[in-house]
Amino acid sequence: MKFLPYIFKNVFRNKLRTGFTVLSIAMSLFLVTLLYGFLASQENLAAQSAGYNRLVVTHRQGLTSLLPVAHLDKLRTIEGVKAATQMSWFGGKYKDDRLPFTQFAVDAQAMMNVFDELTLPADQLSQWRKDTGGCVVGTRIAHHRGWRLGDKIVLKGAFYDVDLELTVDGFYDGSETADLDMLWFHWAYLDESLKAKRSPIAGLIGMVMLKTASADDLPEVARQIEARFTSSDAPARAMTEQAFQQMFSEMVGNVQAFIRNTALAVVFALVCVAANAMAMSLRERTREIAVLKAIGFQRGTVLRLVLGESLAIALLGGFLGALGAKLGVLALVRFADLSRFPLPGINVFDIPWITALYALGLAAAIGLASGLVPAWRAAGVSVVAGLRKVV
Amino acid sequence: MIPLRYNLRSLRTRWVTSLMTILGTALVVWATVLAFGLGAGLDHTLEVSGGPLDLIAMRKGASAEIASIIDRKVARQIEETLPGIATDENGRKLCSPELVVIVAATRSSDGGRTNLIIRGVTSAARALRPGLRVVEGREAKPGLREAITSRSVSKRFRGAGLGEELEVMGSKLVIVGVFDADDSAAESEVWTDLAVIAEISRRKGVVSSVQLRATGAQALAEIKARLTGDEQFALKAISEKEYYAEQAIAGTAIKTVGWIIFVFLLIGAVFAMANTMFGAVVTRAREIGTLRALGFSRASVVFGFLLESLTLALAGGLIGCLGTLPVNGLSTGTANWVTFSEITFSFRFGPVVLLQGVLLAVLVGVAGGIFPAVRATRMKIVDALREI
Repeated sequence: MKFLPYIFKNVFRNKLRTGFTVLSIAMSLFLVTLLYGFLASQENLAAQSAGYNRLVVTHRQGLTSLLPVAHLDKLRTIEGVKAATQMSWFGGKYKDDRLPFTQFAVDAQAMMNVFDELTLPADQLSQWRKDTGGCVVGTRIAHHRGWRLGDKIVLKGAFYDVDLELTVDGFYDGSETADLDMLWFHWAYLDESLKAKRSPIAGLIGMVMLKTASADDLPEVARQIEARFTSSDAPARAMTEQAFQQMFSEMVGNVQAFIRNTALAVVFALVCVAANAMAMSLRERTREIAVLKAIGFQRGTVLRLVLGESLAIALLGGFLGALGAKLGVLALVRFADLSRFPLPGINVFDIPWITALYALGLAAAIGLASGLVPAWRAAGVSVVAGLRKVV
Repeated sequence: MIPLRYNLRSLRTRWVTSLMTILGTALVVWATVLAFGLGAGLDHTLEVSGGPLDLIAMRKGASAEIASIIDRKVARQIEETLPGIATDENGRKLCSPELVVIVAATRSSDGGRTNLIIRGVTSAARALRPGLRVVEGREAKPGLREAITSRSVSKRFRGAGLGEELEVMGSKLVIVGVFDADDSAAESEVWTDLAVIAEISRRKGVVSSVQLRATGAQALAEIKARLTGDEQFALKAISEKEYYAEQAIAGTAIKTVGWIIFVFLLIGAVFAMANTMFGAVVTRAREIGTLRALGFSRASVVFGFLLESLTLALAGGLIGCLGTLPVNGLSTGTANWVTFSEITFSFRFGPVVLLQGVLLAVLVGVAGGIFPAVRATRMKIVDALREI
């Protein structure tokens, strides 16, 4: 510890070289933090939903098969179910968007009961309930698209064969990590429009989102749901909200392996870079190290001094990179409209502190690994030969 | 001009540093080329799917086949009454009604679940996709619960291997053959008989789309006009190229990640290269002073150093690119949010991607080497010669 000032003096001896090394490490660790942070963010999102005690009920064959709306009433009678709403994903085309933003046909009051962690001002809720063609939107997407109360939103049917004209009746809000990029409108409105076209899929819903009284009820309720509809024409499958969200990230593919391999390559490259810089730095100080040893510093101490130096440089870079990534993502999610970006969970991307800490740990490992050989060589410098060296 | 041998010899003298720098650059180029190769593979699959005269008809407003329903009678009318449809050598019209459903499937590698496209076809579908050939096993017999699928799907999904049974909407389809579809969209699909899938999915009397080939560009335009304008059809009719272009957004996530990796690693590598070159300049101050005293111009010294950094970078770039070869053609898949199912594609390290890797190396060499090189010549010759 008493050698810390000495270590720092050496670190900042050649500011240019240290600066470049630190920046090089910082850039690469920024990237690694970003990549790992995304994976961690997805996991967190899924884990977070666990606290809300919700189940998603879909057709056993998956999301593209629809359930009869009668299932909803039957689900509401199951013991332990506090509230249930249908959620039919509409997928309508808005203006020139290449991918639809999230739009759901729901039961207004039930929706607020199931998602009770989200807030909607009471007057807006009552206005929405009165207005058949009304909708409420999340504050984030409203902010990015500039929607205000009373605005008309036209959605061209891409999945469903009907076009909808909706009026913005309110804005729902929630915590920092809530999905505030959705639009909810009345299922009754969708169904009426489908019936008017004599569509064969009128009277059908996409899935049901329900909330149980407590976490303990979840497995039993799920079991009851599947048993209840097992021999029906439309057998159902119940899974936790967590599992449901995981399904979407799983669809993106074996990204984990790709990210890990990229991160590994980057770390390897960094060890080379940092080791190079350390070696260059030490080459210039052979005489100095010989002097240290001559005045009595032990091999072990010299080893630790050099390792400490490479550790300090790497940690500086790691700190910059990890912090930069965490802040960068915070700014990105706040200021950019990510509702159009085709990656589930990107609009609530938030790098957990533990990932930043992990990146810092990685930096420390890089510092140690890259300093090992130069430190060993420095410790082994022969005093006499070292003192003789001109450089 | 300083003789090249001097610069190359210098690199060899400080071989440890040179090696570390080359290795670092190689890894950076490797990671970037890999990311770009992924994006290129996805683009390729979406491009080759669809001949220039091929047209796909779906329900008006449908974003993809899974969202489209066309009555079979209408499909028959298209085939029988529309002029301008090409025919094959046997005189049979190249017009194929197809029924598409998607089912949940499990990946063999990590147990992850995603959706697979099951396409119900008639024999006309094969004529429209001449690039599709069964390479293992045999064709699926019409009317039986049999299916064929691509090599990639058969390897990557449980129950989709040759001889295995794939669960489709409560029924089972036996995979009797494996095909090669020339990297087109069919590589992501499982093909079976139209009647079989209509029965399994309880959708008799409808199809998802009608695909056809026009006799020429003029015929294509006329067919498009009739299918969209005529009351009896009122469908969405677009060329297959357009259809797949609409799905190109599937690659956006991967390509963005590729560019992010590129930018960050580029900057990181530039700093690393600059470090190496600065170190070289400082150590060789006396050499530089000597060279200048001998009469070599400032420019030639700068050029010499740039050459060194470029050599290191390009050597790294070459190794990095070569390192991607084992991965070339490796197939993988990701979610196509337009069809809500898996799109299969392979890594593709074509000339463009490799060029991007080389460009990265060149940028690293030049950007990393320019400042040290210029710095090298700033010292007064007298001071430089005094350095030790």
